[in-house]
Amino acid sequence: MTIHRTCDGVRRRDMLRIGAIGGTAVTLANHLAWAEGDSHAPSPAQAAIFVNLGGGPSHLDTFDPKPEAPEEYRGEFQAVATNVSGVRIAEHLPKLAACADRYAILRGVSHTLAAHELGSSYVHTGNRPIASLQFPAFGSVTTRELPGPAELPSFVAVPETKHGAGYLGVRYAAFATNATPRKGQPFAVRGISLDGNVSLAHVDRRHALLRDLDTTFCEMASDSQLVDGLDAFSHQAHTIITSRKARQAFDVSKEEPTFADPFGDTAFGQSCLLATRLVEAGVRFVTINFNGWDTHADNFTKLRDTLLPALDRGLATMLLGLEQKGLLASTAVLVTGEFGRTPKVNPRAGRDHYPRAMTMLMAGGGIRGGQVIGESDDKGQGPKHEGIRPDDVAASFYRCLGIDHRKEYLTATGRPVMIVRDGEPIPALFR
Amino acid sequence: MHWRACLVILSLGAVFACRPAPAADIMPPIDERFAAAIEAAKNAPDFRRHVVPLLGRLGCNGRACHGSFQGQGGFQLSLFGYDFKADHANLLGGDEPRTNLADPAASLILAKPLEEIPHEGGTRLTRGSWQHRVLLDWIAKGAEPATSDAAFERLEVEPTEIVATTQGDTQQLRAAAVWSDGTREDVTPLCRFQSNNDEVATIDEMGRVMVAGPGDTHVVVFYDNGVVPVPVLLPVSDRLCSRYPATPTPTRIDALVTDKLRKLGIVQSELCTDAEFLRRVSLDLTGTLPTAAEVEAFLADTRPDKRDRMIDALLDSPGYAAWWATKFCDWTGNNRERNQNNGPDNRTLATAAWYEWLRTRIAANVPYNEIVEGIVLARSRGDDESYREYCERMSGYQQGDFVASFAEQPSLPYFWSRRGFQTPQERALGFAYTFLGVRIQCAECHKHPFDQWTKDDFARFQNFFMRVRFGEAPDAKGEAAAMLSDLCIDPDLRGGDRDKEVAKLLEAGMVVPYRETFVVPPPKPPAPTKPAKDGRPKQNKQLIVGRTATVLGGEEHVIGDLADPRAVLMEWMLADDNPYFARAIVNRVWAAYFNVGIVEPPDDLSLANPPSNAPLLDYLADEFRRHDYDLKWLHREIVTSRTYQTSWRTNDTNRLDERNFSRAVPRRMPAEVVLDAIRTATASDAEAASMAASSSGRAVAESTAVGWGKSGQYALAVFGRSARESNCDCDRSAEPSLLQTVFLRNDRDMLAQVNRKEGWVDGIAAPYDAAAKQAAQRAAKGRPQALATVALPTEIDIAAIVHQAYLRTLSRPPSPTEVAKAQTYFAEATSVREATSDLLWALLNTKEFSLNH
Repeated sequence: MTIHRTCDGVRRRDMLRIGAIGGTAVTLANHLAWAEGDSHAPSPAQAAIFVNLGGGPSHLDTFDPKPEAPEEYRGEFQAVATNVSGVRIAEHLPKLAACADRYAILRGVSHTLAAHELGSSYVHTGNRPIASLQFPAFGSVTTRELPGPAELPSFVAVPETKHGAGYLGVRYAAFATNATPRKGQPFAVRGISLDGNVSLAHVDRRHALLRDLDTTFCEMASDSQLVDGLDAFSHQAHTIITSRKARQAFDVSKEEPTFADPFGDTAFGQSCLLATRLVEAGVRFVTINFNGWDTHADNFTKLRDTLLPALDRGLATMLLGLEQKGLLASTAVLVTGEFGRTPKVNPRAGRDHYPRAMTMLMAGGGIRGGQVIGESDDKGQGPKHEGIRPDDVAASFYRCLGIDHRKEYLTATGRPVMIVRDGEPIPALFR
Repeated sequence: MHWRACLVILSLGAVFACRPAPAADIMPPIDERFAAAIEAAKNAPDFRRHVVPLLGRLGCNGRACHGSFQGQGGFQLSLFGYDFKADHANLLGGDEPRTNLADPAASLILAKPLEEIPHEGGTRLTRGSWQHRVLLDWIAKGAEPATSDAAFERLEVEPTEIVATTQGDTQQLRAAAVWSDGTREDVTPLCRFQSNNDEVATIDEMGRVMVAGPGDTHVVVFYDNGVVPVPVLLPVSDRLCSRYPATPTPTRIDALVTDKLRKLGIVQSELCTDAEFLRRVSLDLTGTLPTAAEVEAFLADTRPDKRDRMIDALLDSPGYAAWWATKFCDWTGNNRERNQNNGPDNRTLATAAWYEWLRTRIAANVPYNEIVEGIVLARSRGDDESYREYCERMSGYQQGDFVASFAEQPSLPYFWSRRGFQTPQERALGFAYTFLGVRIQCAECHKHPFDQWTKDDFARFQNFFMRVRFGEAPDAKGEAAAMLSDLCIDPDLRGGDRDKEVAKLLEAGMVVPYRETFVVPPPKPPAPTKPAKDGRPKQNKQLIVGRTATVLGGEEHVIGDLADPRAVLMEWMLADDNPYFARAIVNRVWAAYFNVGIVEPPDDLSLANPPSNAPLLDYLADEFRRHDYDLKWLHREIVTSRTYQTSWRTNDTNRLDERNFSRAVPRRMPAEVVLDAIRTATASDAEAASMAASSSGRAVAESTAVGWGKSGQYALAVFGRSARESNCDCDRSAEPSLLQTVFLRNDRDMLAQVNRKEGWVDGIAAPYDAAAKQAAQRAAKGRPQALATVALPTEIDIAAIVHQAYLRTLSRPPSPTEVAKAQTYFAEATSVREATSDLLWALLNTKEFSLNH
């Protein structure tokens, strides 16, 4: 791992050194207009969904097809038209092709970390990993900046996430469901939902007993933050556990079948349904973890048979579902793996790790859909112009949520660190 | 508030003293010398002594301004101003020089901060002020880089201690810089000042201290490379000197702690109860909650020395070695995700072996210096062991009991082979953290803002680690590949695929290659340079690195021809006058017992972060050395003190004290300890006894947490187990969180522990369940009255259940009120099982359970 160069966490990009970002030319004038134009910015999103395609999906076989490239690069799939003229994606994503006007495709996103853990840490935090500091995941920062309602956890991971709260501390860590819902079946989450055999009356009685017996440090409450905090948590935990709202938010079987069915009977599809429901209930941030994209061998079979159909159905339905519930405009969605995959197909019909070129999707929360930002070269081997960096995507994602990515936190050791140390929002996403 | 101060304090306090008359040989401060016109000042300002610190005072070299790594507006200064050469070059050079020697008054370094021309940083300077005159005069006199080559020697600050009597008291500090040419100058107007606790004292930019509230802290003065802390103290009560109550001080620790408390007017709490003592010392010393049986036996013991006896017993228990090995794993960075496979996959095995290596040594009470030596000088191969013999040995380990065999070898090479610890920089950071309790991170890039360390110190220190490598040693080049080829492993296989093949061969009893930690042999002395064809001597382009290295704050050593440069570090750490090595470990151990270290945070020994009780830290460090680094001595010395055994119950004087050890401070149990405690509290008596007798399978034994199944890892994360990834003791968190509370109340794993088959609740409830079932059957046959009462416990039975529940969770008997409350609950419950389960659940959810108090 590289040692950080800027130990005090500040590296503001030179305001004047702005060139073309991807294929979209950014003039100084519109950059400055953007920088000062906060009053014209769309009202910020209230929630966000982060879809992690763990393992690193092939960019060429999903959202950045290269039908003109030689066979050993373009792979087995055809490119098909979408409902946005001029934008083509891989043939096995028909539902996403039909709603391409809802999301923006970022092509030619580029970094240099080809190991899963490092690349993943980069795209989950917007900060290139360094040895001396663990950066907090998007969800941790978001819930710290925008606390959610008391009776729900603010940051939920379905089924879990490897990326924690880092230097923000465990209280901002994700609440992991540790399981994915199954179609049509009641779903309960550890800790939050009451066991089916326990009645609310019993839980209240038990809680009363606890309050009756938990008296030892009462006299200290005014002097001790610890005692005071534990009492507050005790109260809030009881509220969450006994809240109908919390329980119902997680139970996807409560959803109308006409709404739920299109998500598909896959773990990912059901996770998307759950995310939609949680956001509707007021959860601030949902991370969906969809693994299996590390296709070193049999890339095309795996993509065609399982991965792409699940992604296509789940993601397209989630975007449309959010829209149907009137939530898309107020929910920022970011879809990414930790890197792309080698443009040249290997002898095992697989593709290997490739951070120099990858794609991401963004939607909702003020993002203008139906556009492609950035461009990769003709074989998808790297960005054609200046690449988009994960740092800039992160800054954009925070911008959707109205969070100033330049805000500084102090770590436990008193070190000041910006939320995103080295990125700026990509203006074209919001126009 | 006016406290009556006693004579001792008055004699120390220089509180109302005004500026002391300058000594004859001291140069007056620069603000006085430049108060009037420039011509009046005899001595020209010096770049290092005056200009750079002044730019610091004006905020120019701050992080958000020109001290940023990209500079600002095309002008850059070194952060916190210690790179005099670069700063001088930047002021004079560049496209737009900041100084104008032809027309000094027009220099940008003046015009910008005066805001005569636009300056993003705003107005920083006032025309005609002494600051303005100093900068102008320096430029007018040629903007020289130095007027003297004298070195900075030290900073002297007066007074050396501030003992106030009243809130609102003020005191002016005076700071004098002493240079190697003998000059002394009052540099107060050029210093940077900081208070370590604004609630006790504030300090303004002129060095005026204002006492803000009762308690004690330090204000710190910075100038050049000098960092001087000055203690500030305002007594908390009027119980001082003769009015201080008689306090027993049975140990040296107690005497030293009380010395400080006496000054503060803080009265120590009473001794804690026997039950509190047993719970606290078991949790702290062994990471283990006492069982109900142990609590009963201890409370029944009438011998006057039973506390000391218990301490001895606990030091010999398996929990002691397990828990402290886990703590050592935190400090040494035993992180599964970072451990590198030495052989075919087993990071998990490496992690377990690392733990076991430490555990066996702690159990055998191997002296701390010897444990550290085994880590610091670690190499994979033994003396005279060939590469093949090494591979044979490791393969043999792996075919047998790897963990146990590994633990027997003399060194711990995994410390050096982990990821994130491969570059000399990473090692400099990690080494200083682990063994010295020093944070030198900042100095990697700039002058450390709170300590003496410079970039140069960092660079010279990291040289020690240049020749330590992990991979393929030069004397075994190609051997690993040859072995793989002999084993018919496809040379194209990589990573996991290759490891799988190698693992199969290993299982079949073959010898497979391993990577190793080794020290590159000393480089040969450079050949004499031959003149090139054109007759000029050829430049030696190869920069020879690592020929010398310098210990932190100490001497430079020639290491180029040493077989292992790390030996120099080891020797330095063991020297009697080493300021870090012994202090770091005694402070960390102390912090584990008292919630805070004597230096807090415990891994930040630095000049600006002085100990709250320096004599106490010195005593422990000196005695630890004198006792040959005997860890059990250290633990015993601490926990036998009265100071450790005080109650958490406060009095008027110490209710807010959390840094002077006047009482026990309740704190959440560490993650591993919580998990084990829940398991012990919910276990049958027999299982609880077996957990106390062995650490195997327990969470404190390197977090295996067998009893919790797979999701033990989830629970450990929720409770803040150390991530061991960032060279910081703060990787472990004792912070409470909502998630923890939700877990304790309602997580399925937690409820499953309470209600587990053959657990304590099950054992209590089963006979009643059976009786109730029988009664129901009889009732069905028409004989309801006769046996119905058998299914219900009597009040005496219930009291016994409640008694046991308290012993196994809160480690004390219940009060009569508590028994009564529980009995009411039992009376209203639908079954004994439900009531017992709810009672145990409620007790596990009290603050008294999860806090060590």
